[in-house]
Amino acid sequence: MVWKIAKKEFLLNLMTFKFAVGAIVCVVLTAVFMPVLVSDYQERLKQYNDAFAANEAELRKVKVYKNITPTIYRCPNVLSVFSEGLEKRLGYSAKIELDNIPELSAVSTGINPYLSIYPVLDVSLVFKIVMSVLALLVAYDVIAGERERGTLKLVLSGTVARYQVLAGKFLAGLATLVIPLTMAFIVGVLIFEFFPLVDLAGSDWVRIGLMYLASLIFLSAMYNVGLLFSCLAKRSTISLVLGLFVWIVYVIVIPNGSGYLARKIRPLEPEERLESELELVAEKRDSELQRMNKEIPSGWAGSHAGGAFNRNYIFVCDKRGLEYWKKSSVLKEPVRIKYADKFLEVKQKHLRNLFKQKYLANNFSRTSPISLFENIMSALAGTDLARAQYFMDRVRMHRNRVVDYIRSKTADFSSLSYFTRSKEGDWEEHNKILEPRRVATNEAERKRVWDAFYKWKDKKIAETLALDLQDFPQFIYQPSVARSFSRTIPDLALLVFISVLFFVLSFVAFMRYDVRSD
Amino acid sequence: MIWHIIRKEILENFLSLRFILSLLLIISLFAASGFVFVDEYSQQLQDYWKKTNKNLSGLSEQSSQLCELAFYKQRIFRKPKTLTLCAEGFEKSLPNCFEFDAFKADLPQIKGQTNFTVPHFSDIDWVFVISLVLSFVALVFAYDSICGEKELGTLRLMLAGSIPRHKILLGKYFGTMLMLGIPLLIGLLVNLIIVVSSEDIVVDGDVWLKIFTIILLSFLYLSIFVLLGLFISSRTAHSANCMVILLLLWVGLVILIPSFGRIISDASYDMPTQAELERMKAEADDQIGQNASNGKYGPYASSFNPDLDSPHANPPARARYDNALADAENRITEGHHNQMLAQASVGRNFTCISPAVIYQRAGETIAGTGLNHCVNLYRQIRQYQTDLKEYIRSKDSEDPESLHLLSPFKYAVRSWKTISHKAVDFDTVPKFRERGIALGQSLKLAVWDIGLLILFNLLFFAGAFVSFLRYDVR
Repeated sequence: MVWKIAKKEFLLNLMTFKFAVGAIVCVVLTAVFMPVLVSDYQERLKQYNDAFAANEAELRKVKVYKNITPTIYRCPNVLSVFSEGLEKRLGYSAKIELDNIPELSAVSTGINPYLSIYPVLDVSLVFKIVMSVLALLVAYDVIAGERERGTLKLVLSGTVARYQVLAGKFLAGLATLVIPLTMAFIVGVLIFEFFPLVDLAGSDWVRIGLMYLASLIFLSAMYNVGLLFSCLAKRSTISLVLGLFVWIVYVIVIPNGSGYLARKIRPLEPEERLESELELVAEKRDSELQRMNKEIPSGWAGSHAGGAFNRNYIFVCDKRGLEYWKKSSVLKEPVRIKYADKFLEVKQKHLRNLFKQKYLANNFSRTSPISLFENIMSALAGTDLARAQYFMDRVRMHRNRVVDYIRSKTADFSSLSYFTRSKEGDWEEHNKILEPRRVATNEAERKRVWDAFYKWKDKKIAETLALDLQDFPQFIYQPSVARSFSRTIPDLALLVFISVLFFVLSFVAFMRYDVRSD
Repeated sequence: MIWHIIRKEILENFLSLRFILSLLLIISLFAASGFVFVDEYSQQLQDYWKKTNKNLSGLSEQSSQLCELAFYKQRIFRKPKTLTLCAEGFEKSLPNCFEFDAFKADLPQIKGQTNFTVPHFSDIDWVFVISLVLSFVALVFAYDSICGEKELGTLRLMLAGSIPRHKILLGKYFGTMLMLGIPLLIGLLVNLIIVVSSEDIVVDGDVWLKIFTIILLSFLYLSIFVLLGLFISSRTAHSANCMVILLLLWVGLVILIPSFGRIISDASYDMPTQAELERMKAEADDQIGQNASNGKYGPYASSFNPDLDSPHANPPARARYDNALADAENRITEGHHNQMLAQASVGRNFTCISPAVIYQRAGETIAGTGLNHCVNLYRQIRQYQTDLKEYIRSKDSEDPESLHLLSPFKYAVRSWKTISHKAVDFDTVPKFRERGIALGQSLKLAVWDIGLLILFNLLFFAGAFVSFLRYDVR
């Protein structure tokens, strides 16, 4: 019997105006949004590829170990098209250095700060706004409307139990909503295929599938909200008005209000405190480094050359210079590495406060199915905070490997190749070429000497081969679908719970419903 | 007769569920908005004065030497405005700190405590409540005003009398506007009472005028949605269908179209990255360096020897060279800043088909907040920079020991004394004070937006009028 009711209701729904308009709007909006968003992604991907290639090229030019300061770029997430999350708000790159450990940060350079007047645009906007309205529109008159038309008492005058009617209505509503949802997903994925540069990996397909399922659960929850009001109200217009007001609260009031409440309950520490704490650590480090200067011989002569990653290295220097730099590296670099950890500690303490505030805001907003859905979508798309933290964890592990690599290659910074590639005799040659400038009498002669020197220097630099970094550690970052999915479980469970709760409430309300029409 | 219809509309709606619900929702939102504002504004004001005083005390320390005054990096923060109550304009995520000295100005930055892991929501200000919630309520009030009466069969009864159709339409329009006006005005009143009764907030005459203008603007905006509701209502036969169309139109106009702004802005400008900007600066420096070696600024322009008697020291040439460098850098920075502003506004220009965008922009313009606030402040700071330089020039001319060369090169100034090293009276030093824009001027800026809002009104009114004249009331 449930099936019969479901079938009848489903067929009736298909013929309605609201369904036709809603479905068309969903598909058209997806078809408009997707190309815009995918081309935006493509642009970001291009920038990433350029930056990545430039970084690799620099890495191949490295001549001394000291200059190894590559940057790890975060590859733009293809699924950010579906849910933008924090994708554009967090920094895109992390620099690997001895004296600094990267941590999560807001995107700062190269982004126009004035653009923050605009809201976020992604495909899940279509789902969470348009589809949820559609779900309410489909649901608002299922009971109250039938009562008004007088068909409800006819149905119930037969042998059908009330729960069967309600279950049939639920199934029919879900089946009705599945159609625009499926069409929107299909259109979305088809548009992906039109962009040859964008390709979806196997795991991306799994994620899209999971997003589809999550959207389905979300729609069922929203449908049940409408169903409850339909079972509570006697007239369908009242049910619609109630449903829409609740929707406004879900879409606008709760997400905005929870951010504010979290800011109030867990206010952030002023930024100056972080700055002053960092300064304190820097001062301590500098004084420690200063103390070491006593042990390092001073006074040396030499010349620098520009190296990879925009860093200089010692091109040639005298014996004292070699000794100075060797001693300085051996003593100072471990201190810098040690303090990098301390800087990180301070930064992480500050970040933990931010996270606490975020989690609190998240928990408040969990009262709205729309926020739950947003969380799920961003976790599945991999644009949530946890994924960004995972990326940073990987970057830090990579940084540690790089530090270990440099240590092992330079015997704890004591090898000369850490800071110079100057060979024996270079310094003497350098002096020999520059010597005539002391006895030069006029400007032209002096210029000749310098020209000769620069020619020699260029030749020398060209002769120096880049370091062989065959065994340089590779950055490994493999986000897994299982991890993303496990993060969504609490939200998903809550969404299912809300859906079931509203259904049960509808059931209770319907049991006591007066089906007589006026 | 119109009054009869208006009265009937009001009485009919007064006890309806939708009216009570909207009244409750709107009043609670406005009350919340008032409390939030009072709480945050006093905190912001405190922070602002703290930072401003810090800047001033720094400036006063430097006044012991005129040259140090010129090189002191001032940090000016955006002053929180009372009118953020009406239109906050996303000020929390816009740059709020401007650093500059007498010679150079940096790009504005965002300083202070912000949580970048939380997606930024707009504050619950008037514009937010009105543009999102009240526009929606307007549609809920208007959707069944024509087709609903037709369904009930009362419309033909009404038209069987001697009332012309346009009077019914106008009656419905004014009736709905009044019904909408009641929760709006009560909400605003509650909000203003909360704000005015707080100790920290001073609302003066100009601010009241602006508040009044924003209220008028809000009615103009809401009227668009009422007319849209009447228009669609007189195009459809069933109120349920009318609601569906209106809802989807609302979602499109108020939520989806404004979201496109960012993408449009991103696509329409190819902004240089940080590295490119650095490269542009380096190229300009190289060019000037080349000019210097070609003798454009005079002999030894690019060399610096602390000893003035050295034959390689040529202070006027060096000053010309350094000024050229600073000017080039300022030009690039300012060009970039202008480009950023242009990029930010282009998205809004293109999404102007949404009344919500127009209303938001007009509200911000009248309130002097948001993007306009930043633009205005930046302009004032540039003006102040010129004033400060002029002041330094005039004070410097009084010192016979100085070389009277305003050069942005610190070492030259210190060792050659190109700018006076004498102390100046701090009271005479110009201090930066942010000025707001007068109502007349902001109205001038918002005139296009107001015109567009009126245009939308006329368009939908014409649509509703024509459709209702041809409406089949059976």
